Amino acid sequence: MSSETTTPLGRVRDLSSRGYIGLAAVAFVAAFALAGTLFPDTLVGTLFAVSTRPGTIESALRAAVPICFAALGGIFAEKSGVINIGLEGLLIISAFAAIYGALATGSVWLGMGVGVLASVLLAGVFAVVCIEFRADQIIAGLAIWLVALGFAPFAAQILYGSKNTPTVSALPSVAVGPFDLSIAVYGMVVAVAVAWYVLNRTAFGRWVEASGENPKALDTVGVSVTRVRYAAVLLSGLFSGIGGAAFAFNVQQFIGGGETMIGGRGFIAIVAYLFGNYNPVGAFFSTLLFSGLEAVERPLQFSGIEVSSTLLQTVPYIGVIVVLALVGRTRIPKAAGEHYESGED
Amino acid sequence: MSARERAEAALERLLEASGTERFLISLASLALSLFVGALIILAAGRTATCAQPAVSYFGVGFCYDPAAVYDALFLGALGNPINPYFDPLHGQFAAPIQTGWSPFNGAMARTLAETTILLFTGLSVAVAFRAGIFNIGTQGQLIAGGLASTVAMLAVAPYFDGVVGTLVVLPLGLLVGAVFGGLYGAIPGALKAYADSNEVITTIMLNFVASLVALYLVQNRFADPESVSTKTETLPEFVSFPTVAFDPRAPFSLVALALGVALLVGVYLLLERTTFGFDLRTSGLQPEAAEYGGVDSKRTIVSSMALSGALGGLAGTVYVLLYFGYFGGSVPSYGFDGITVSILAGNNPLGVLPAAFLFGVLKNGALSVQATNVPPELVDVLRGLIILFVAMPEFFRLAGRRLTGPRSGDRAVATDGGSAGGERDE
Repeated sequence: MSSETTTPLGRVRDLSSRGYIGLAAVAFVAAFALAGTLFPDTLVGTLFAVSTRPGTIESALRAAVPICFAALGGIFAEKSGVINIGLEGLLIISAFAAIYGALATGSVWLGMGVGVLASVLLAGVFAVVCIEFRADQIIAGLAIWLVALGFAPFAAQILYGSKNTPTVSALPSVAVGPFDLSIAVYGMVVAVAVAWYVLNRTAFGRWVEASGENPKALDTVGVSVTRVRYAAVLLSGLFSGIGGAAFAFNVQQFIGGGETMIGGRGFIAIVAYLFGNYNPVGAFFSTLLFSGLEAVERPLQFSGIEVSSTLLQTVPYIGVIVVLALVGRTRIPKAAGEHYESGED
Repeated sequence: MSARERAEAALERLLEASGTERFLISLASLALSLFVGALIILAAGRTATCAQPAVSYFGVGFCYDPAAVYDALFLGALGNPINPYFDPLHGQFAAPIQTGWSPFNGAMARTLAETTILLFTGLSVAVAFRAGIFNIGTQGQLIAGGLASTVAMLAVAPYFDGVVGTLVVLPLGLLVGAVFGGLYGAIPGALKAYADSNEVITTIMLNFVASLVALYLVQNRFADPESVSTKTETLPEFVSFPTVAFDPRAPFSLVALALGVALLVGVYLLLERTTFGFDLRTSGLQPEAAEYGGVDSKRTIVSSMALSGALGGLAGTVYVLLYFGYFGGSVPSYGFDGITVSILAGNNPLGVLPAAFLFGVLKNGALSVQATNVPPELVDVLRGLIILFVAMPEFFRLAGRRLTGPRSGDRAVATDGGSAGGERDE
């Protein structure tokens, strides 16, 4: 079904409505900053002061790490034509494996490696199931999430006798100006730049794009669609692995109760990249939007502004729904969710 | 590329497979999951430390015995009917069923209570799936319906008492649950139909919104003033399903299960025997054909999501009534389990009953697994594995072909999955 939004005209309309929303957002932020500076004693003033405090910005960036890394991974997978709804599971498994690795080896860096390895392995399973056995991607993604959601607390129980692991030391942090930021935050910024460069300036980036938009054309020029998709899905495991591990080291332990410590961040990551229209930089800024809300919640309460933290948490979710309703269908790659059988393997 | 086309491709593959094949795939998935689960138990047993290995295979001792775990899981959920002296392999031929065992025992009651709730959520997911919509939002619809009906029942309960009270308040609660669940389901339906929003994303978002808003409301608006824990007031004794055969203190009522089964049959007939059901199924399978055939696809999307949500809302009401008689701060993930149930049932309403029972057994059996020292989270791993295997019918087809050897007409088998966008060689 070729929809309206895939025609050039539809694409322009899509972009322009997205552009208007972007413009409106910028205008809103500018007005907010202006009002906040001019009238420091009002509600807006307090809000502005709170949200520009170094502590708030620090915690917003810290909270962005797992979401942003998972979003970068999701971009690669989905652009190549494999919708990876299992990002949440990848974050869970890497968070647990990283803490396990750190406790077993005594080194956070080795722990990081174990976490990334676990995530890449699970992403590999997902890739085989989707590409080799032509599973429905949504269902397989849910399965990956559920497997990790069960397995990580299960393994924690076996190894440590509790769903929560013992604590480990944090990743080192580096101070820049008034900010004291974990090395993971710098890693995130670098990763965004690298992902953008790979997707937009390299042959591999073009293959990923073609694999999701027109796999047949890619096949015709002699590049294996299957291999590109495998690589892209494994990359989603790599990125999510870094994100999950970094998040766990930030909390300094794995917490396996309820929906685990990941608590839906993998799903927010999906929203972040859809919001950012598959652009790593866009995904980064939409992530900051969500993590920023999380970060202002506590300081606002200390400033004496009565907000229900529970209700404030709904803002990103409602925001996503509203924007989806306004922008309409996000332009998902044409061949996403479809299987491709090459004539040559 | 659209979610609809994805759903269409998935549906084609899932539905074109014959009923028997679907059943065999589900069965094989279950068996394979149990096998992988056994390997995980053995591996976990190597990591754990114990004084005496529970079992040894090929000369290697393991701390946990998979057979014992599965024994606890499946038999524990049914109140352990097997006589320990029934062991024909070792020459003991006592009666297979224990004396004094009754199918109306407490463990069975809990298993059937889980089954009942999963029946509703499984049906909810199945209805949407048949219309080509992935409703990941049954959890949110369950919360919306469960809280709304609890509040409504608490509001009217003081004016009634006794049997009259049950007859008035209970149906009212079910109605309110269905209406609120239905409205909450209609939101993503309308967003999909009129704003082209991907329902997978909107329903996931609405789940978070529902649980957070419900938590807020229970904490701040409908809190039980006499309780320290986050919950609404408790419904009076008479607002509950009448108990039949089972112990009245058990959290289960055959009436609730009967209601679920009646709805199941109703949904089956609605889908298979009515114009609405036909429109719904064709929209799911062939959206363009349905449009040409004069089906208003937008209305079908909204109404099938509303129906799906109503079933989810009912699940919430039934959950409240069966378990605590109040709405607490958090609700177990019955909605997500409903997805599992529906997928295992091949999205066929009739298959939902056995699938719900299987997951009822797994969820309740997890309690007995604890006695074997293996963490009950194992059941969650099994649940994920079952879905993973059901999602890859191609795997079983390949395995089946390897077993039966290559045949002529293989190509037909290879392509019967409707390879959308796929290329065939030659």
